[in-house]
Amino acid sequence: MNFGKTAVYAALALFLFYVVLIFSLLTFFEGKSFLEVLLAPDTLFSIRLSLLAATIATLLAVAIGLPAAYALSRASFPGKKLVDTFLELPMIMSPIALGAALLIFFNTSIGAVIQEKGILFVFEFPGIVLAQFATIAGLATRLMKTALDEISPRYEAVARSLGSSAWGAFWKITFPLALRGLVSTMILCWAKAIGEFGATVTLAGTMAYKTETMPIAIFMALASADLRKTIILILILAGIGLSALYAVRFVGKRPQVL
Amino acid sequence: MIEVRGLSIAVGNFRIDHLDLILQEGGYNVLLGPTGSGKTLVLESVIGLRNFQSGEIMVGGKEIQNLPPERRGISYLPQDLALFPHLTVRENLLYGLRAQKRSSEENENHLRRLIDTLKIGHLLDRYPQGLSGGEKQRVALGRALAPSPRLLLLDEPLAALDPGLKSEIQQLLISLHRSLQFTALHVTHDLQEAYLLGDTITVLIAGKVEQRGKREEVFFRPKTTGVAQFLGLQNLFPERVLAVEGDGKSLTVSFWGKEVTLPADHAAGPLSAGEDVVLHLRPEEIMILREGKPIKESLRRNILEGEMVRILDRGTHRWALFQPAGMDIHLEIHLPNYVFRNLSIQERQKIRVAMRWEAFWVIPTS
Repeated sequence: MNFGKTAVYAALALFLFYVVLIFSLLTFFEGKSFLEVLLAPDTLFSIRLSLLAATIATLLAVAIGLPAAYALSRASFPGKKLVDTFLELPMIMSPIALGAALLIFFNTSIGAVIQEKGILFVFEFPGIVLAQFATIAGLATRLMKTALDEISPRYEAVARSLGSSAWGAFWKITFPLALRGLVSTMILCWAKAIGEFGATVTLAGTMAYKTETMPIAIFMALASADLRKTIILILILAGIGLSALYAVRFVGKRPQVL
Repeated sequence: MIEVRGLSIAVGNFRIDHLDLILQEGGYNVLLGPTGSGKTLVLESVIGLRNFQSGEIMVGGKEIQNLPPERRGISYLPQDLALFPHLTVRENLLYGLRAQKRSSEENENHLRRLIDTLKIGHLLDRYPQGLSGGEKQRVALGRALAPSPRLLLLDEPLAALDPGLKSEIQQLLISLHRSLQFTALHVTHDLQEAYLLGDTITVLIAGKVEQRGKREEVFFRPKTTGVAQFLGLQNLFPERVLAVEGDGKSLTVSFWGKEVTLPADHAAGPLSAGEDVVLHLRPEEIMILREGKPIKESLRRNILEGEMVRILDRGTHRWALFQPAGMDIHLEIHLPNYVFRNLSIQERQKIRVAMRWEAFWVIPTS
């Protein structure tokens, strides 16, 4: 068997693995009850909560991650490698460990002050956003850095020599050129935030109509042996996630750079 | 006058110490040097993209080293041109005028003239991706010149071009400079490009300015052995000054056990007896003597006998290798094709060559 064919079979095998997983859900699927579960108030609440929290967490991750990614891509500063390494922390750290670390932080004196004088995070909606933010911020920064790395710094150098300020050169030249990569990053991070469970459940808990995001709703349905609801929630979550990932394939095409 | 004074930069183990660079206002200045000589560091410092340890950059008597790049009035044309791919040619051309908020009628008229000169009027609504190599070069030049910069910096813009296009753009640069009289600093390692374009050439080697001067001075009268070697000059021989005569107007220099006498202005700077030098013999100025013909008095001083070792047809001229009798050296000789045909010499033939004064150039080694 030649190398090319083997590689294609490997890709097909992986695809089948995930397809079989999804289809196995359909074994227990009852079409009639789909709408019933979907339109149930607790399901709609979970969907709304997940969409809202993931959107806020993604916007925050991009707002802070974009300048950070720019600095990592263009500037050299002391401790750059250390900062770069820490960005990968959420990728190698178990989400539950990340959530537990956040929970412990809010039990320190600084964390307690934030809770008392600022925003309540533990077992609250901001806790969901923070847990999701902690999970995706590093990834968002890393992906945006990759998008910016692909844009030659010479474009900005030329723009500045022609009279643009550093900000002007970024917004008029680098940002539009990197836009597709940045939008892809947002979609990927949003999809990851929607599916985030470990850190969220640890920091925000599993309170119905309060902190019950979709992955937590799946966990709760499974824990109470409600297989029908579990399957339908998984299908909805997979549908949202796959649609987002599929959208990246279209957005991900960059303009041809000279 | 644009001047760089005492520029010092350190990057890793590479250092530039107290570099001075003087650019002729309205001239086409070339910064020539081998790869790794520090040309890009100098260029980035002048544009304002690199911080340096010390030094001043003066434009029209004003210091600009503390100004950000956008306030220096220096346009930059990099090797890959960096045309903005998401903007049309028109938007690329207008970028500088808009960024500097200089959309006056006068500036727009200047841009219109530029578009006519560069013959890019038909490309205005197209994007850079669809342009040919030559069109891209023209648009990039137009974009850089549109805001009427005080200095145009060109960073090896012809390095990646095929020979035909390179020649076309070189001619364009010459005619554009002649009509617009902008001040240019063109950075290159290409000798031919530097010779063709540069009114004034500064040679930078290992972070040091080795020579600055008119193109003929640099190419035909190198001041240091470093410049001579970088220029690829042949017939370089380590020798010694034997005597300085006639109130310093004449030099006698050793040449493989012989002596050659030549006017002192054939040396790069004043020399004294006993000083070590490198003697350069210009291959195109060595004259092959025709047997049986009377020899002029002026040629009798420096005649060598020997054998023609190799003759190659280089298209534009004949390249020959001559071995003088009793010397363990080879001299490279360049002969115009018509001279070669008249001489009808062959390899292994015994010949005599006369080295005119014009053939000699003496370079101090210290």
